[in-house]
Amino acid sequence: MSLSLLFQAVLNGLSIGGVYAIFALGYTLVFSILGIINFAHAAVFTLGAYFTFTLMGSQPFTSGLLKNDVLPVPLPFPLALLLGSAFAGLVAVGVERVAFRPLRRRGADPLLTLVSSLGVAIVLTNAIQLLVGAEIYSFPDDTYGTLPRAVNFGTATAPIPVRSVQIVIFAVCVAILIGLTVLINRTRFGKALRAVAEDATTASLLGINTDRFILLTFFLSGFLGGLAGTLVGSSVSIAGPYFGINFGLKGLAVIVLGGLGDIPGAVVGGLVIGIAEALVPGDQSGYKDAVAFAVLFLVLLVRPRGLLGRALVQKV
Amino acid sequence: MSQFFATYGDLFVSMTLMAVLALSLYLPLMAGQLSLASPGFYALGGYVAAILSTNPGSPLLQMFPYRGLFPLPLLLLEMAIAAAASALLAILVGVPALRLRGIYLALATIAFVEVLRILSLNFDITGTAVGIFNIPQPFGTHIEYLWITGPLLLASMLFVYRLERGRVGRALIALREDELAADAMGVDPTLYKVLAFTLGAILAGMAGTVTAHLLNTWNARQGTFDFSITILAFVLIGGSRTFLGPVLGALVLTALPEVLRFLADARLVVFGGLIVLGSIFLPQGVVTPALFERRQNRAPRPGAPPPEAGLGP
Amino acid sequence: MTMPAIAAAHPPTAAAPLLDVQGMTRRFGGLLAVDDVSFAVQPGEIFGLIGPNGAGKTTLFNLMTGLIPPTSGRLRYAGEDITRRSPHRIAAKGIARTFQNIRLFGNLSALQNVMIARHVHTRSGVLTGVLGLPPAPREERETRERAYALLELVGLGARARETARNLAYGDQRRLEIARALALQPRLLLLDEPAAGMNSGEKGDLSSLIRDLRTRFDLTLLLIEHHVPLVMGLCDRIAVLNFGQLIALGPPAQVQNDPAVIEAYLGAE
Repeated sequence: MSLSLLFQAVLNGLSIGGVYAIFALGYTLVFSILGIINFAHAAVFTLGAYFTFTLMGSQPFTSGLLKNDVLPVPLPFPLALLLGSAFAGLVAVGVERVAFRPLRRRGADPLLTLVSSLGVAIVLTNAIQLLVGAEIYSFPDDTYGTLPRAVNFGTATAPIPVRSVQIVIFAVCVAILIGLTVLINRTRFGKALRAVAEDATTASLLGINTDRFILLTFFLSGFLGGLAGTLVGSSVSIAGPYFGINFGLKGLAVIVLGGLGDIPGAVVGGLVIGIAEALVPGDQSGYKDAVAFAVLFLVLLVRPRGLLGRALVQKV
Repeated sequence: MSQFFATYGDLFVSMTLMAVLALSLYLPLMAGQLSLASPGFYALGGYVAAILSTNPGSPLLQMFPYRGLFPLPLLLLEMAIAAAASALLAILVGVPALRLRGIYLALATIAFVEVLRILSLNFDITGTAVGIFNIPQPFGTHIEYLWITGPLLLASMLFVYRLERGRVGRALIALREDELAADAMGVDPTLYKVLAFTLGAILAGMAGTVTAHLLNTWNARQGTFDFSITILAFVLIGGSRTFLGPVLGALVLTALPEVLRFLADARLVVFGGLIVLGSIFLPQGVVTPALFERRQNRAPRPGAPPPEAGLGP
Repeated sequence: MTMPAIAAAHPPTAAAPLLDVQGMTRRFGGLLAVDDVSFAVQPGEIFGLIGPNGAGKTTLFNLMTGLIPPTSGRLRYAGEDITRRSPHRIAAKGIARTFQNIRLFGNLSALQNVMIARHVHTRSGVLTGVLGLPPAPREERETRERAYALLELVGLGARARETARNLAYGDQRRLEIARALALQPRLLLLDEPAAGMNSGEKGDLSSLIRDLRTRFDLTLLLIEHHVPLVMGLCDRIAVLNFGQLIALGPPAQVQNDPAVIEAYLGAE
């Protein structure tokens, strides 16, 4: 592969990797405090995209129960993005209340909680299908404003074009990640998060209101998921209610690679997989999707704790 | 009556096949392994049938040319080949993967299914994205498939029933209860986990072979993550602790959306809802071992005085 | 006394030891849980392993039964090096154990718990088991009979069909012993078998252990906290403190060893 192609691939990889990272962080936040994988996260991702799309009010839905409905007051993209993600966060909170809290109360096996979250994912995904059908919905062309279609990172004679959308997305990801880092390292919430992640019982003894805290974390997790969904949906298209599930499975590869429950790990994992995917040569693009899963399988076999995770110790 | 069979033939056959698939997940679960790998072997089995019965280069077609309906012995031969292929792949994948536990194993099996799916989307022999068409039928009507699926289900049920009651079954259940203690008592965890995984793979593969003929076409959409969740639902809701649970779960949950047809589009929503409710309220599923206990064991609580002699069981 | 001095004071007897622990060391990160421990257990002995909490006794058991690998050191059993064997291979060689925190198969009956430990002495597989072909039927019968017999031996015959986790605590401990015996071991490791028992039960346990030694020609190695029980029952005792062997010898000698007294008094 020529150097300029390589460079272009890496840049694209960083962009999609950024989205993977944000999405994976949603998983990681929940895993770090509850030790469970929330499969409903993928559905929340999907919902975020649909919420934002609806809020932009650019076109009516073409099937489902909400056929021909459209929001009377269309919102500009940045606002729709924030609100849509916030709604996604609220849904995540609802999911916690309905599907996770009862199981937590009884100290249920984490696998049971996983299954419950799978059930929620199915409910949400199919509810979307009921409401708006399985059509492909595309965001309007001017979603990201009037930007040139692509930016040239190379020279005039050896151009390295990168879609403007990718750059904007990467910028948004960086902003979010900086925001999160500040949140986790500089705020009370962040300190509490790290405390609960370390030891929930002690944390609650120290006065952290665990239940409310868990709700906040789920909100944040859902917000990130919805945000990621919107970024993907707006840059490509919303390819039906199931488009989140595939993304969701890749998200699992990211968190295992980075180390379950490790926050910087999710970022590293996301970028690595994003770049690895982008490096798949164009003529083999059908195998792109396999990269994440092959990585997942290999990591589990060779080093289950991932790149940055802590080793698992079993007490005898 | 024939109208009933014509309409519901497909349903009955599906029910039996789903029950076999539920057992394919139940087997590793007996050893405490949550494996979501069945759809991968199911897809493999289907492709074995599809390729062997439609591909012009197929040795099966060259050795045994036929006219009219696809001969039953050839179908059985395909099932045997699918079983062998599934077993081989299961051992290959299982030996490294089954060292993992809990969520890590579940994730590894998810990855396995996805990788297989993507490979089948890209290989020519599996028909790439389009898949394989015109898979021949061994029977004139769908309901006649019960001649194969019925015995397959019954044989599987009998197999699991007998297995549970013998030395191997005990070893598997011991692993589920406490892998470390089982190891210390002489049960080789890797051997038996791979064994359970492989047996499950064989069932899933054979189910796939039959389904490929039933559906007439086979493609990458047949072995997906979604499907593994559906099968998981059968086992978890039907009952994860006895072999009848998965069977009943599969039979009922496959028939239910048809019976509740008016729910139509909402049926998957109901399904998902049932999974959530089931996990919360019925963690062992509906059919539990407790249902079979004829004598209630009223054991004394620790510290309580022992029951008087003469009132013993 | 230093370690080499202790070893020199107790040279190996003429008979070959059944279990030979040589320089066993296990490190967890910065912590030395077991520190260069060496001793030999003679066939037919009842050997006690005592020491304050956290001294490394259970870790030593885990090292001996293959549950964790040593950082360094060797382990020889009946002359064979078993240093890094896996637990089920060690079980097959004839070393059985019970656990400090009782690890029964809780949802299974007492009988099934014991039957499972017959695994290494039976061979029927998937096909023979499912089809009911020899040797399966005979083995099933024998397994069941032996399991019943062992339950009777420990006084649980009447409770054979009860679910293990519903048994009283003392019964669970005895069930664990019955299960370990089903392995037909030559060496039986008991990890705090008397924990939670009252003095009457402890007395019964002592008698049971002596009986088992004669009846099954066993060698026993036991970890115990209850010092009088150990002193009355064991032929020799090894004392561990902070992972190190600080005393080794017959009960009377160990009892009066200043290092031992200090370890226990100091630990209070």
